[in-house]
Amino acid sequence: MKNVTHSFVFLAHWPSAGSFGLNTDILATNLINLTVVVGVLIFFGKGVLKDLLDNRKQRILSTIRNSEELRRGTIEQLEKARIRLQKVELEADEYRMNGYSEIEREKANLINATSISLEQLEKSKNETLYFEKQRAMNQVRQRVFQQAVQGALGTLNSCLNTELHFRTIRANIGILGSLEWKR
Amino acid sequence: MNIIPCSIKTLKGLYDISGVEVGQHFYWQIGGFQIHAQVLITSWVVITILLGSVVIAVRNPQTIPTDGQNFFEYVLEFIRDLSKTQIGEEYGPWVPFIGTMFLFIFVSNWSGALLPWKIIELPHGELAAPTNDINTTVALALLTSAAYFYAGLSKKGLSYFEKYIKPTPILLPINILEDFTKPLSLSFRLFGNILADELVVVVLVSLVPLVIPIPVMFLGLFTSGIQALIFATLAAAYIGESMEGHH
Repeated sequence: MKNVTHSFVFLAHWPSAGSFGLNTDILATNLINLTVVVGVLIFFGKGVLKDLLDNRKQRILSTIRNSEELRRGTIEQLEKARIRLQKVELEADEYRMNGYSEIEREKANLINATSISLEQLEKSKNETLYFEKQRAMNQVRQRVFQQAVQGALGTLNSCLNTELHFRTIRANIGILGSLEWKR
Repeated sequence: MNIIPCSIKTLKGLYDISGVEVGQHFYWQIGGFQIHAQVLITSWVVITILLGSVVIAVRNPQTIPTDGQNFFEYVLEFIRDLSKTQIGEEYGPWVPFIGTMFLFIFVSNWSGALLPWKIIELPHGELAAPTNDINTTVALALLTSAAYFYAGLSKKGLSYFEKYIKPTPILLPINILEDFTKPLSLSFRLFGNILADELVVVVLVSLVPLVIPIPVMFLGLFTSGIQALIFATLAAAYIGESMEGHH
């Protein structure tokens, strides 16, 4: 077995040409054909590759230009928007100031008007109260008077018999008579 | 005793005539592993090309991109579009991964088709595109597998594994098998295409050194680009598939 392996290895190493070197046989190294192939490849491939790469470059350039233009446009719009924002802010400040003073004035006016109407209301309330009191007193007075008159009438009606009548008449006559006499 | 060296000599002569080396590797021994050094060397060259060109292109970034920056932005846009169409709305974190896959595979393939690697002679084997060695493509495919597992698990948690019994539990073996066939098909597709491209060119060059291989070389360039695109698209599609369906 070892022998076989040895002989195999020997066979593998058989063309022991020696060491590194240069093969100068032009036909064996296939140099001419390789040169032709490389030349044709460069001749045709160069044009194709150049076209391809030029196209790519152009595409990149146009993309960059487009985005530059877009960027410029956007920056301009941004500037415009910023200017408008400033203007609007100024206006808003103005409006705010105006609005504040207006509101203050309105408030003062409203407070004044309200206090005036409040006073008036107070006055009219007092008057109403006074009148109500007067009316209540009048009513009470009337009721008391009426009751007194009714009581007197009742008393008169119940107590006024003939004798008393005569006596009263007499007393009255006496009073009238004395008045006449004095005169 | 005399026959063996004689036959070896004849074989060597035949070998020199054929001039096509398959399965020859320049081995480095690192910690008990046999490393295919020619793949590492070409990978480093590819990585250097990528990093160097990117650093030069974006060293001084402009708002309006100049030539190099413009080109790399175009490439980035392309990768982002690809990721977006395949993964969907949450494509953002996966753009670096998809982009790395696509750019590394693409530059590897094209370096194999365009750079005159054969000028430099190695002790054994020869320099070629890193992607015509199956170790590279398997590594890339396994990275893709890990990426889509990570995507699914981080998005859905353990309920990610529910997709194995959907739509019916009968499909469970097939669904499990899929996890093995995905990296297998990714790696073999890329490896086979690139190796076949380079072999066809090498065989044609050894038969007719001039003019005739040129159409095949252009076909190889086309196929290489398509393969890089397919690998990146499929990786993105797998990631998108494992993240989708979270209703």
